[in-house]
Amino acid sequence: MAESHGEAKGTASAHTEADGGHGFPPFSKETFPSQIVSLVIAFVALYVIVSRVALPKVGAVIDARQKAIDGDLADAQRLKDESEAAMKAYETELATARARAQAIGAETRDKLAASSDAERKALEDSLAAKLAAAEKSIATTRATAMSNVRGIASDAASAIVQQLTGKAPAAKTVEAAVDASLKGTA
Amino acid sequence: MIDPIHQFHLNKIFTIGHIGNQEIAFTNSSAYMLLAVVLIAVMMLAAGRALVPGRFQSVVELSYEFVANTIRTSAGSHGMTFFPLVFSLFMFIFVSNIVGIIPYTFTVSSHIIVTFALALLVFLTVIIYGFYKNGLKFFKLFVPSGIPAVILPLVVVIEIISFFSRPISHSVRLFANMLAGHVTLKVFASFVTMLGALGFVGKVGALLPLGLTVALTGLELMVAFLQAYVFTILTCIYLNDAIHPGH
Amino acid sequence: MARGLRLSSELIAGVLVGAVLGWGFDRLLSTSPFGFIVFFLLGFAAGVLNVVRSAGVAPDRSRQ
Repeated sequence: MAESHGEAKGTASAHTEADGGHGFPPFSKETFPSQIVSLVIAFVALYVIVSRVALPKVGAVIDARQKAIDGDLADAQRLKDESEAAMKAYETELATARARAQAIGAETRDKLAASSDAERKALEDSLAAKLAAAEKSIATTRATAMSNVRGIASDAASAIVQQLTGKAPAAKTVEAAVDASLKGTA
Repeated sequence: MIDPIHQFHLNKIFTIGHIGNQEIAFTNSSAYMLLAVVLIAVMMLAAGRALVPGRFQSVVELSYEFVANTIRTSAGSHGMTFFPLVFSLFMFIFVSNIVGIIPYTFTVSSHIIVTFALALLVFLTVIIYGFYKNGLKFFKLFVPSGIPAVILPLVVVIEIISFFSRPISHSVRLFANMLAGHVTLKVFASFVTMLGALGFVGKVGALLPLGLTVALTGLELMVAFLQAYVFTILTCIYLNDAIHPGH
Repeated sequence: MARGLRLSSELIAGVLVGAVLGWGFDRLLSTSPFGFIVFFLLGFAAGVLNVVRSAGVAPDRSRQ
């Protein structure tokens, strides 16, 4: 729309302008050679400047930056790898140390448990032996005591019977009576 | 009314010489072409070499990477052979478009002969490099695969016409966009001055075209970049045909 | 607007090249006006092909 508008204006103004080209300036042919010649000069100059000087320069700067960035990244990666390796070594060392400590602890615990077991057993044995001896002595003491009681009782019984009857009872009868009463009380 | 076409007039500054009967003049257009070249050269050569770029250096490196990526995606890594050419084209069109938006300046790319010459340069590069690289296999470009033999001649003729229409559409697109944008800008800007001369009511009414002019200037900045980019990417696509015609 | 200009320039370019080819064909072989008509139509077809390709509807060979 705007284009046709402009064209209409261009043809209108061509009549009023005495020295102007034929109508619309972008289409006036007599300016074409001048335009082409200056364009060729300008563009060739631009092409030479761009291709010989400007682009190699800018390209070199960009390449250098890329290289620097790549180098820095590689350095960072290397350092990261190193620190990771160190970390790993530290961790494995820590793990082995922990395992060793555990082994030592377990061993000590076992040894201690074994020795305390043995001690306890020895103690229990000796206590059991002592207990048995004590029981034995109690039993013998009791037996002798019992027999003493029997003798005294039969003596006393025969003496009492003699006092009462005036005649000594037969020892066998007294002993049987004492045994029977002992059995009854016991 | 201010003539919206006046901005496209060529003014002779001095005469360079003659080719036959034709006078070759150094015009305002020539001056702006050289200005673009000088701007690009100064920008590229003054940019620092710092490892961490400053703003200015960043812009230069950004344009370098931008064009390089455009070529790589459109024409493959082999297209980097044409990196200086494509870069020159992009920067030349882009800088002259941007310079043209500044009021009172001249827009080099608003002249069909300039854009046509640039498009023709690309077209000839494609043909010459295509035959140099591929020999007669370059003709495969005109023979699409999977077409029945009966209509193949017709398709080939259409493909050839399509191929030859490339420099025209390539150049007309850039030229028409720049021309239309600048004419529109000028028309709206002249509304501002015309309404502004009509007293208070006119001055209030002039605010609308003024706002439109500001918005259009922003749009034109975008178009300036976009058309330079479109020209560049089409150049890459055409060069891709020269590099890999068999596809 | 940019897209419209782009597509119309594609079509016009095709038609224009077809017309110029036809005109040249006629001049060389003095077959006027048949060459012009035929090539104008072919140019129109090529223009439509250009438009369709640049609009991205049909697969673009050069982008593969």
